[in-house]
Amino acid sequence: MNAIFAAIFLLSALLFLLHDPDGFLAAMLDGGEKAALLCLSLLAAYCVWLGFFKVLEKSGLAQGLARRTLPVMGKLLRSDDREALLYAGENISANLLGLPGAPTPLGVKATSRFLAQGNRYAADMLFVLNATSLQLLPTTVIALRLAAGSASPADIFLPTLLATLVSSAAGVLLLFLADKAKRFLPQMRKLERRRGTHVRRRPS
Amino acid sequence: MNPVAYVIPLLFLCLFAFALVRRVKLYDCFTEGVKEAVPLLLSIFPYLAAILILSSLFEASGLAGMLSRLIAPCLKFLGIPPEISPLVLIKPFSGSGSTALLSEIFSAYGADSYIGRCAACAYGSSETVFYISALYFAGAKKKKLARPIAIALLANFLGVIAACFLCRFL
Repeated sequence: MNAIFAAIFLLSALLFLLHDPDGFLAAMLDGGEKAALLCLSLLAAYCVWLGFFKVLEKSGLAQGLARRTLPVMGKLLRSDDREALLYAGENISANLLGLPGAPTPLGVKATSRFLAQGNRYAADMLFVLNATSLQLLPTTVIALRLAAGSASPADIFLPTLLATLVSSAAGVLLLFLADKAKRFLPQMRKLERRRGTHVRRRPS
Repeated sequence: MNPVAYVIPLLFLCLFAFALVRRVKLYDCFTEGVKEAVPLLLSIFPYLAAILILSSLFEASGLAGMLSRLIAPCLKFLGIPPEISPLVLIKPFSGSGSTALLSEIFSAYGADSYIGRCAACAYGSSETVFYISALYFAGAKKKKLARPIAIALLANFLGVIAACFLCRFL
């Protein structure tokens, strides 16, 4: 992330210097303003949904629901921390339902628990699942197409759903393979080293 | 009326009624949940600000436009119309920027054209990867984000290719 940040920052600053030196600070302040506004709307969503989820938790309903997702989530995220898996399960369900603003607080909580336990794989997997999330109903797109005078604004629903199915599957598979490779490579190297010493010893 | 509109009020109604039956003190419990909102937001804020400032620079400097012209031929090879390449490039950085691009594409090519439908599906099937990474990994002490971000970007890109392919038949 540090490398991406530095590269984009320096390149854009350079372009601004060449074309439009006045626009540089304006563009940055524009980004800052967006962050401040977004924080307010995030806070609004957190207020509603964190209250909602606390009631869900205290009523015992969350445990009931999560008991069903727990085995699947545990296997997918390779963790046995009940509370974190509960958050993760609720995060994924809220994402599927498309409840606006609801998945983030749960996902952030689950991720920070996974990271505190040093379970990098679970944190990465939950992030990838959220960043490739299934779209059951792309409401923003449908509204925009309606505004642009489309004859049947909702007819992109099926290709969008299938495409997110592809991206989710690809994300899970890629992370799984990357993790396999990470564990497998050091073992291979160790094996090769051992074999190497074995061969060298033989003549003596 | 959109039937989806009934989901959220019903959800709250059912849960709160169920909680009352279970003798949960609704007011105390709800406020206890909301208490966590501000610390959670504070932990996220610096990363959110940095990412959004970066996205703003990326778009406004013209860097995004230059890169999208550069990658347009590659995208065409993969079946993605070059007209939507700015959208594909901006989407991981900025939700609002890509929304603006999408409505521009709609007014330029029509919402029901092949390009318009490809753009709609590409927009709908990809996520704002950098923004989500800023939120989710705000608590991470070691910022090893290269692996998850690269995988998420690649997966989203495969989704866009699939979307453009599917738009030819569906």
